[in-house]
Amino acid sequence: MKFSEMHRSMKIIGIILIIYAVLVATHEGEFWPFSIYPMFSQAGNPWTRAMVLDVTEADDEAYWHSQTLDNKAGSPVALRNFGVDQIDYSNFMTQTENWTPERRDALRAMFGSHRIGDQHLLAAKVHGEIVGEDSVVVRIEPFLLITADSVYKNPLLDETHYYNEPD
Amino acid sequence: MKWYEKIGAGLFEPDRSVSSGEKIFFKFFELFVVVYTIKFSWEWAIYTQLRNVEVVRPLGIANYLDVSLLFHYNLSLILAGLITVLIALCFFRKGPKWLYMVVLVFFHLLHVTRYSQGEIPHSQNLIGMSVFCLAIGTWFFPGKNNMPRFVMGSIIFFIGLGYTSAFFSKLIGTGINWYDGRHLWLWISEKSIDILSREGVYQPNILQQMILGSTGFASLILLFGWLTELIGFTMWWKKIRPYTTTLLIAMHFGITLTMNIRFDAFVMQLVLVGYPWYKIIDRHIKTAPSFVERWI
Repeated sequence: MKFSEMHRSMKIIGIILIIYAVLVATHEGEFWPFSIYPMFSQAGNPWTRAMVLDVTEADDEAYWHSQTLDNKAGSPVALRNFGVDQIDYSNFMTQTENWTPERRDALRAMFGSHRIGDQHLLAAKVHGEIVGEDSVVVRIEPFLLITADSVYKNPLLDETHYYNEPD
Repeated sequence: MKWYEKIGAGLFEPDRSVSSGEKIFFKFFELFVVVYTIKFSWEWAIYTQLRNVEVVRPLGIANYLDVSLLFHYNLSLILAGLITVLIALCFFRKGPKWLYMVVLVFFHLLHVTRYSQGEIPHSQNLIGMSVFCLAIGTWFFPGKNNMPRFVMGSIIFFIGLGYTSAFFSKLIGTGINWYDGRHLWLWISEKSIDILSREGVYQPNILQQMILGSTGFASLILLFGWLTELIGFTMWWKKIRPYTTTLLIAMHFGITLTMNIRFDAFVMQLVLVGYPWYKIIDRHIKTAPSFVERWI
């Protein structure tokens, strides 16, 4: 490569940088494959993820209550066995603002009625936060019960948990 | 020499002619990118076809196009098939010189279709950036004397920029106390839920147990990773590049061990671009095979 071509290369990189900056600035830091790589940028904030517990054999009065990792109403379900990406599932659970019947059906479709069979799957949100100086507390919040033909809301939670703008 | 010329000299080495080893290595690197592009395309297309039901979070071009159309009628699979055929043509330098750009647009479309479910992954960004740099290289720098240099130089530029940008994202997002070890405790507990959710079981490894047992040790681990990101841009200079790359690879192994996040393609690509492999090839091969010359 000659020096003139090196100058041309730098000019083109400069133009790409401007396009890069405009695209990420107007798209919340992400315009694949351009990114400002914001992962882990906000440290120390409480987090919410999601998991599924198999409560087929559990007492239905008990499993709607808040739980801890050491005291769960059922065993954790391996989403890998359902062919579901756990990050997708987690984001679906935590980013949905209005749990309309269609949205709940979409969650059931993600697992597949034929694969659910006779199982009762408790879709739960899991919250974690730093408490005091030196401990992390994790709490499991039962949210929806998924069966092969229906999805039920937790009767102990009010509608504000399921709708951003309740009627 | 002006400051940007110094950066340009480190990235594109205008004082050195393109060696046979460099041409052979470049073609091998391009093959690596092509294989991963095809692999990701089919993985995304199959998952989209089987699992995507609704757009939860539109990314990139999905902000302007309803990508849920691609969830049906095998359209995502057809798109993956198109990418496969077109990128194979690009690899053998068949078709117009802007064909890689078409591949990039389709690749972007398939990515935002697959990842419309809320997750924003970054592990495939380096392959995406490589396709982007190949698209610019084949379009604006065709020919064996400039194309390998531009493509490899620009990829190294954007890798270095990405790491340093990640450092500043953390500084702006949290502040100077980002490396507080308790933050790592929170992330380990968060990722443990993801593993539990994926596998049905989770057991912390020895490193995680050590981190969870000491805030000081946890802080030290975070500080090492953070400072390594800061110096990511030093990859732009040829002499420092192998050392920076080694630190970055060590950092990625650290992330895998502490947070169970794997970066296979990312790390392999760092190994490929961070070290002067062409020197080893040059020692054994004096002339590049004619098909390599033809396909650059």
